[in-house]
Amino acid sequence: MAEKKVLVVDDEIHIVHVVAIKLRNNGFTVITAENGAQAFERACEDKPDIIVTDCQMPVMTGIELIEKLRKNEDTKEIPVIMLTARSFAIEQEQKEKLQISECLSKPFSPKELLRSIEDILYDKAIAN
Amino acid sequence: MRKLERNLYLVPIVLIGMAVVAGSLILTGLAQWRGSEAGAWRLPVSACCAAGAVGVILLGWYFLKLSWEITSIAGFLRKDKSSLIEPGGCKALSELREAINGRFSGNSSYITELEKQIGDLQIKIQLLRRQKKNTEAIIYSIHDSVIVVDESEKLLMANEAAGELFGFDFKDSQYKSIVELINNNENGFAEFLSHCRKSKARATRREIEFTQNNEPKTFDCIVSCVYDETEDKKKQVCGVVAVLHDITREKEISQMKNDFVSHVSHELKTPLASIAAYSEMLCDGEANDEETRKEFYSVIQTQATRLNRLIEDILNTSRIESGLIKVEKKNVSLAILIEETLQMIKSYAEEKDIKITGPKSKDMIVFGQVYVDKDMISQVIVNLLSNAVKYTPSGGSVKIETDVDELKGLVRVSVTDTGVGIPEDEVGRVFDKFYRVGKNKSQAKGTGLGLNLVKQIVEKVHGGRVFATSRVGEGSTFGFELPLATEVVESGV
Repeated sequence: MAEKKVLVVDDEIHIVHVVAIKLRNNGFTVITAENGAQAFERACEDKPDIIVTDCQMPVMTGIELIEKLRKNEDTKEIPVIMLTARSFAIEQEQKEKLQISECLSKPFSPKELLRSIEDILYDKAIAN
Repeated sequence: MRKLERNLYLVPIVLIGMAVVAGSLILTGLAQWRGSEAGAWRLPVSACCAAGAVGVILLGWYFLKLSWEITSIAGFLRKDKSSLIEPGGCKALSELREAINGRFSGNSSYITELEKQIGDLQIKIQLLRRQKKNTEAIIYSIHDSVIVVDESEKLLMANEAAGELFGFDFKDSQYKSIVELINNNENGFAEFLSHCRKSKARATRREIEFTQNNEPKTFDCIVSCVYDETEDKKKQVCGVVAVLHDITREKEISQMKNDFVSHVSHELKTPLASIAAYSEMLCDGEANDEETRKEFYSVIQTQATRLNRLIEDILNTSRIESGLIKVEKKNVSLAILIEETLQMIKSYAEEKDIKITGPKSKDMIVFGQVYVDKDMISQVIVNLLSNAVKYTPSGGSVKIETDVDELKGLVRVSVTDTGVGIPEDEVGRVFDKFYRVGKNKSQAKGTGLGLNLVKQIVEKVHGGRVFATSRVGEGSTFGFELPLATEVVESGV
């Protein structure tokens, strides 16, 4: 199976770093970004198989990033996992509207994140 | 003399006069008739004439007496309305007198009763007027808007606050249609009142928004039905009372608190997320070599420190506000304090490629001392410097300067950056708790506590003053003033 590419987006460099290590140790190619605007450019250039993004970021938030991805022909089908430290979860209606595959609350488990990524990519492969 | 008396007395006087004249004429006629052929008729005619004259005189006299009685009765009735008519000499009028007295007696007690009732009613009217005045005074004194509407949608009473809110003269609008009075009825307030009245619910509560002075405001509106009792003892709704309490500020505060909780949660969970993730990686053996492990340990340590500092900030803000914080003041060299703080911020500034400069040597306080809590003022300077670096794009600069005003006995510390700047209408609010400049929220994260903590420490704990100036796109200057120490003692620094 070709190595899958994951775009990890978070303004917290340590979060990006630990997720990148976990994914690389498990055979993924990882590209990173520190805000939504940067992430959108990378997504358009590198066409990742899945995106893991934080919610609250400077310049462009995770929600704004997803809205932009869904409007773009090249990126609208990319599954997204959102990491959020917000005190309340994203509403189901918004989750469905933005086609967010999974929401994980911070602090999160890197193991759990890896499992979610693998499940989503597996389902996507089956669907295709 | 009244017309009645004049007419009544005139008649008998005329009659008597006529009788005297007639009598005189007859006697004169009779005297001429003496020696003539009348002869035997003279006596009876003379007697008849004499009797006639006397009769007329008596009639006149009786009529006079009658007139006197009638005018007496009339005069009595005019003067004294309560007493009974005294008996008079003329028996013919006695029945009239009795009838009038009878009527009078009845009327008198009726009148007395009426007068008593009128008196009671007047007292009741005065009491009701006073009650109305008291009720109005109570309603007018209420700060919230109060409106009283009857069952036909007419305004019965309103206070000044209601008049200002809805734009009508509250004292001059009684009995006017409430729909016409409420000039901003686009939110259906009048219909809401009508609905509450028809529902007959004891009280209905709703939040309603109005525009007042071109500003949106939120009101907590409670509409209560006013009940009246019908003749068959059934309760019916005769109107409604609406009380509107302005909760705009409470909503703002609630929203700010919600935002704060959201921010704080994010800020607390972020370092916690790093700690949890790196710990798990270590436990799972994902750190393959010693160097990676050391890196992971370091991250855990710095994030734990960060978390601790944030919690301290939150707690300190609360403690300072509630006056519970422990303050340890001593004479401190501000110059040395600034230098120590610059070292803490330097690495952060270098990461962002921002040049940071301290006070020039000639500006440094050599002998001037301030009497402060060293940790707190250090915190103030750290907050100001880190804010300056946070909101300055790469390649910019931050400088910290000091200035002593010996005349005023104070020292001024200012931090100037070449950052994004703050809009003029928001500069005054930057030291408010939880406040974050709108357009800068996406520039960098924050809890909105840092500058508030600076203000609390400088002003509340040390009696100083904070200040801020800014221009959008050019940068900002934040700073504080502290009083110089009144006596110089050996510094512990």
